[in-house]
Amino acid sequence: MSWFIRTAALVAATAIVAYGVATTEDRTDPRWLALLLMLALLWGIALWPSLGRQVRTMDRTMVHVVAAFGVGFLLVGAQLVRVQALDRERIQSRIYSTGTEVVADPRRQALEEESQRGRILASDGTVIAETQMGDDGRPRRVYPFGPAAYLAGYYSPALYGATNLELSYDAALSGRSEARRLREWVDGILNRPTPGYDIVLTIDPELQSQADRLLGGRPGGIVVLDAHTGAVLAMASAPTFDPNQLSVGTTASEEELTAARTYWESLQQSNDGRLVLRPTQGRYPPGSTFKTITLAGALESGLATLDKVYRDEGALTVDSRVIIEQNRPDPNRVSYTLEEGYGYSLNVVFAQLGLELGASRLTEAAQRFGFGEPIPFDLPVAPSALSVSPEHLTSPAGLAETSFGQGQLLVTPLQMALVTAAVVNDGQIAVPRLVDRIQTPAGEVVDQRQPETWRRAMSADTAAQIERAMRWSVEQGYASGAQIPGAIVGGKTGTAEVGDRPPHAWFIGFAGREEPQYVVAVVVENAGSGSEVALPIGKALLEAALQR
Amino acid sequence: MAARIRLLELQLLVLPALLGIVGLLTVYLSGTGTTRWTWADIWVSLAFMGLVLGTSVWLSLIGFSGDQVLFPLVAMLSGLGLLLSQRLQPVLRDDPGWATLAQRQLIYLALSFGLLWGTLTFLRGLEWLRRYKYTAAIIGLGLILVTMIFGIEIQGARLWLDLGVVTVQPGELVKVLLVIFLAAYLDDYRDLIATGYRLGPLTLPPLPYLLPMLIMWGMSILVVVLQRDLGNALLLFGIFLAMLYIATGRVAYVLAGLLTFALAVYVALHLFSHVGVRIQVWLNPWSDPLQAGFQPIQADYAFAHGHIFGTGLGFGYPEFIPVVASDYAFAAIGEELGLLGTVAVLGLYLLLVTRGMLIALQARDSFVRLLAAGLTVVLGLQTLIILAGNVRLLPLTGITLPFISAGGSSLLTNFLIVGLLLKASESVGERR
Repeated sequence: MSWFIRTAALVAATAIVAYGVATTEDRTDPRWLALLLMLALLWGIALWPSLGRQVRTMDRTMVHVVAAFGVGFLLVGAQLVRVQALDRERIQSRIYSTGTEVVADPRRQALEEESQRGRILASDGTVIAETQMGDDGRPRRVYPFGPAAYLAGYYSPALYGATNLELSYDAALSGRSEARRLREWVDGILNRPTPGYDIVLTIDPELQSQADRLLGGRPGGIVVLDAHTGAVLAMASAPTFDPNQLSVGTTASEEELTAARTYWESLQQSNDGRLVLRPTQGRYPPGSTFKTITLAGALESGLATLDKVYRDEGALTVDSRVIIEQNRPDPNRVSYTLEEGYGYSLNVVFAQLGLELGASRLTEAAQRFGFGEPIPFDLPVAPSALSVSPEHLTSPAGLAETSFGQGQLLVTPLQMALVTAAVVNDGQIAVPRLVDRIQTPAGEVVDQRQPETWRRAMSADTAAQIERAMRWSVEQGYASGAQIPGAIVGGKTGTAEVGDRPPHAWFIGFAGREEPQYVVAVVVENAGSGSEVALPIGKALLEAALQR
Repeated sequence: MAARIRLLELQLLVLPALLGIVGLLTVYLSGTGTTRWTWADIWVSLAFMGLVLGTSVWLSLIGFSGDQVLFPLVAMLSGLGLLLSQRLQPVLRDDPGWATLAQRQLIYLALSFGLLWGTLTFLRGLEWLRRYKYTAAIIGLGLILVTMIFGIEIQGARLWLDLGVVTVQPGELVKVLLVIFLAAYLDDYRDLIATGYRLGPLTLPPLPYLLPMLIMWGMSILVVVLQRDLGNALLLFGIFLAMLYIATGRVAYVLAGLLTFALAVYVALHLFSHVGVRIQVWLNPWSDPLQAGFQPIQADYAFAHGHIFGTGLGFGYPEFIPVVASDYAFAAIGEELGLLGTVAVLGLYLLLVTRGMLIALQARDSFVRLLAAGLTVVLGLQTLIILAGNVRLLPLTGITLPFISAGGSSLLTNFLIVGLLLKASESVGERR
């Protein structure tokens, strides 16, 4: 046969394979089998030995039989390429289930059992998440420590994927780590099972329990951290979800799947953001706690000192908008130092300060604290914003109300905790850390996280001034409820107005024995005034932190 | 006979010898997860190596002048089979045999090598076999009948005879006997069958001479119906058709045979539900995933898990496939050695077929030529049918993968075939 016909047959055969693989899902789809018949014919044409007339019958026929075998083996090869390479993932993911009986690739379960997913541990080893072997021999992901379960997130490969730490540390938990590439490669060659790594958090389980208890299911968020190392000691969120009910593995029974779906539906229908981790993703107007940033901007620019005196006559008209002062300790007193203005949380003083500072310098101050940027963290973080629309700050009224923490400000509790941390850490913000180290199940440390500086928010001098103001606020101002005998305490309350509903209660504060060390940020949604609702929570947590 | 060194064969045997050592060590060490090994771990490999190299040296010593490529191919494939039996033995839960799978396979392999030695040492040519064509046919038919009547059913097919200690598959030997009969018969009446009777413009098939053939055809259909095994029927009928074509060069016979066979299968499908189930499960195993479709689905999972490079020997889960050692040896290879492994095995079998047919082409005596061609077709067709069944190119059948599947009857028979082929290659030379 001529080379032209052979080549044409080969080209046509290739086209048929491509077409068949693209249009048929299964190797025994009747259309694919029909294509295979055509393929056999075309390959036959391409490979058929051309023997001269002088070749004897039996010689010729024997060669033909070999050629026929060749075509047959090629067809087997075509099926092999489909099953082992092209259709591979489709085949592996195919599952049949009647509710009681399941046909699925048993290798998944075997592999899951062999390389057990790592645990998530609190700083003292308290188990937050682990994979347990059930009585039926099937692995289950469980979260025994309720107050921190939502930090771990859920691990639901069968239905909803993963969230929070289960997502951001999936590689380490399933046994992959950058630091040990070579070791894992060798393990792979020798087929040693690579068990998942354990991740150890900075979370103090007692502090975490207390924070969760103090929040008591009221919508809100709490962050407690070590200002110098950035270690997050507690991070509470409410309302939240139970990851135990969502974490269904590939080997889950139909009942477990149904239960998880039902629970998921209920989470969706409750419509109160149970899957939102409020300390990092909840954005609130910060109320008077924001005055800390306005103050930092003013001190940093040299515009004012803490001793500078401002007039507060009970009201201030900016652009025909009247700001009523409700916070003066004595209605007959009209002059206050800036330190007093901060400690008594005087809106009129800070409106004037903000107007003096101007939009650009206020914006710069906020940006230096990290506004507008995602905070580098082990969990997803929503960036905080000075205003929703950029024009808001261009109007004097908008600038004035932003300066004392209203307007269009949207701030996360974590951001406010970092603002406070900057104050006691000489103006520097340490990168907040939730994960302390990654280690093998035997406890051998693979990756120890070190404290790092994220950014400088202000000069050390400015930080010292603000620290003074915050301590004054606790010693003589409205945050006096936060006093702890024998400890250095500073703080600022906030009561953020939100339309017709009750205000959000805020408190930020720090405490330490010789010098300030621990920082707290508390927000409780629509719960009332900061000093009555948020401050007691913050104080209790600072007290507990001091007793660590 | 003067000794002559079979250098090419020795060189080619390096690979199967290495496969034995490296493969078996991998299998043993993968179980322990260490790199420490003892001599006790590789005595099986050393025994295999000894058998293989010993055979080659023996052939050199007796001055055997036959083909030097066939034996290394067979050594490679049977080495893989041994490897697979060692691999699967620890994970098979209910192994019904008289010893462990690994021990059995090694003993069968030793017996098979013994058979090969015997064949090559004591057989004086093959031409005398033609005188026993009817004897062969009668023994063959007898074996089929005995199996049909006294056979026991395993996996829905009645292919085994229970001899108390061991179960044997007489069907394996029947194939060889059939080839001997066909080779002799076709050699005798080749010209008559090829030309037929001329009646004016029509050429009628020479019916009287085709009668024995038609009996064979009928037997094949009977096998489908009574033994409930499409594969063996296809195999027997395929051997018959291929040899008929080789001898006569008449495509019409092949087409007519295929057509009638397809028709018979179609009828059988409608009459016997068990054949229908096999077909349906072939087309869509998910139509009955808990029963009949379970095995092919598991095999698909295994193939897919292997991907290109495979998991490595000892690191897959071939035990999830029911009856993996005999029905789905190829899927186990696919999982642990990957696409590269399965294509390599395909290549080995294709080389085996090519080499076997080359021996047939070069043989001097026309009966020996037909015999060698027929035996090659037995090996090739059997391989093709079971592999096609494993990858769902055809419905799955209960026949074994030559040299690799577990099972003594098939191993011994296939080594007998290799012995006969090697013997045939000795008489290379000018044609009579």
